[in-house]
Amino acid sequence: MIQSLIKAFTNLFKKPQTIDYPLTPIAKDKEYRGLIEYGEESCIYCLKCEKACPPGAILFVKTENPSANEKNKKALEYNYNPYLCIYCGECVRACPKPEEALWQSNKKPSVATKEDKVNDNWFVLERLKKES
Amino acid sequence: MSKKTINIPIGSQHIALLEPVRFKFECENEKIITVDSDVGFVHRGIERACTTKFKFDGIGYVVARVCGLCAITHSLSYTVAIEKLLGTEISVKAKYLRILLLELDRIHSHMLCLSHTCESAGFEAMFMRIMGDRELVMEIQELLTGNRIQFDYISIGGVNRDLSSEIAQKIRQNLYEVKQRALGYREEFTNNWSLSLKFKGIGALSLDDAYRFNAIGPLARASGLHVDVRNEINYLPFSEVGFVMQTHKAGDINARNLIRLDEIQNSIKMCENIVNGLPEGDIFTKPKGKPNGEALVRFEAPRGELMYYVKGNATAMLERVRIKTPTFSSIPAFSHIFVGEDYADVPAILASFDPCLSCTAK
Amino acid sequence: MRKIEVTLENVREEIQSFYEYNKWHFLTINGVALADNILEVQWIFSKYEAMDEVIIFFAHAKYADLIPSVADIIPSAIISQRELVDMFGVVVEGSEKGLYLDEDSLQAPLSGCRI
Repeated sequence: MIQSLIKAFTNLFKKPQTIDYPLTPIAKDKEYRGLIEYGEESCIYCLKCEKACPPGAILFVKTENPSANEKNKKALEYNYNPYLCIYCGECVRACPKPEEALWQSNKKPSVATKEDKVNDNWFVLERLKKES
Repeated sequence: MSKKTINIPIGSQHIALLEPVRFKFECENEKIITVDSDVGFVHRGIERACTTKFKFDGIGYVVARVCGLCAITHSLSYTVAIEKLLGTEISVKAKYLRILLLELDRIHSHMLCLSHTCESAGFEAMFMRIMGDRELVMEIQELLTGNRIQFDYISIGGVNRDLSSEIAQKIRQNLYEVKQRALGYREEFTNNWSLSLKFKGIGALSLDDAYRFNAIGPLARASGLHVDVRNEINYLPFSEVGFVMQTHKAGDINARNLIRLDEIQNSIKMCENIVNGLPEGDIFTKPKGKPNGEALVRFEAPRGELMYYVKGNATAMLERVRIKTPTFSSIPAFSHIFVGEDYADVPAILASFDPCLSCTAK
Repeated sequence: MRKIEVTLENVREEIQSFYEYNKWHFLTINGVALADNILEVQWIFSKYEAMDEVIIFFAHAKYADLIPSVADIIPSAIISQRELVDMFGVVVEGSEKGLYLDEDSLQAPLSGCRI
């Protein structure tokens, strides 16, 4: 009981445990699970990441102007939805060329706003994927 | 004096509750006579989603989202069930790493519960103190898995990340610190007057009733019932890393708190043993095939026994995933404890159960 | 994991003669939708302080059948029975609907046949 009183009293002179967040940034570990990043030049278009993704946040959809990558025979384009992604890293583990074609960074996604049309644009891609 | 009773509800939104649950108490003066509960406010249909929307290899990440606190136990139970069906043998190192995260999860979950019992007894300073110390555990979990809450650490065939020597050092340091601080809590929980008044002799469950109502987890062990799934399963080597079952006799709120404190100490010891004696080897074995047949897996989540029943039919979609969560099967015991207690003690008793409603309603 | 087949008629007697409250821990009641509108109802028990000893009593039922209640033998079964009613749309003696689902939500989401 007395110890608890002493503890309570000394706590008055301690530094706060919390940090002043937007002003003081939070220290980010380099192994922090963040956005998935894609290197188009190394991609072999095996679509393994698309199949492995649990929430379906990676979609390869047919495009009008495909990249110059010679492996891209079906004229596909990589699409990634950071707001659907759960950052589990299954895609990176499924990728035959990790670190070159697909890797996990420690970056956070930006805050989505209404103008971005995050959902609407993604639904269009999902529909295209279903049709093909 | 007339025997008029009065109905008082608690919830579905209440200052002492973390999650939506409604209890309807019928009281005679201050004493509770009957209890009626409604737990289904956060039903999300995860069992159905597991059999209609997702393939079996992604479900480990779906079931982790049943509950934020015991996410690791959910994904671990599901993964072990699938490994049983596929016949995948995982490496010894992966098994130890799984126990490590499971026990870290238990430490931080018990600390959360302890802090909330303090809060509901009106001891805010202790709440802040425990929550502050809990950050030490959260920090090492983040270092180990890359995320504070949804760890996504376990995959079918092993674990996703290895333990580097720097992280191991950090785990040793932080756990040592937590250990010292948790020893300090024991003094508060046994001798501090404001906590004793609210906790000792209140909300007691006898051993016989614990058997009768199939109580599980810390609730049962506080009444002296020797039930801990870690003692009853052999998929992971719990006894090798120094697991000792903790029991107490009194069965009241104070006993439940002490059980949690003892389990924190035991879990810290287990984690230290794992970090110090981690064997060499791979952390991942590639699984082959599609699940066929049925498997039943039990694990000890921080709140008690978690059961997964998985049935596959040799395709990528499963036939049935049944999740039996700890709080769900404790509800009859909860309702029994409330009867005969004062209405004013309800928040303290409820916090001592450590209920997880998002688990219950799934 | 050991499975024992029973019928809806004799399940109560079987469980009554088997269940000793300080030896067996009642886990839950589970339902599995099989083909041809058959529901497999499972009563799952595990033994206290034994290594992985799980016993499942199971019975095949039609969705229209009345499933007997075991709540007088095992008081904690009441909550599992209410879940079974909600999830499979079956009728269990003395168990009402509405543990998870509201009136206007999708009814019996896990049943093989839609009611």
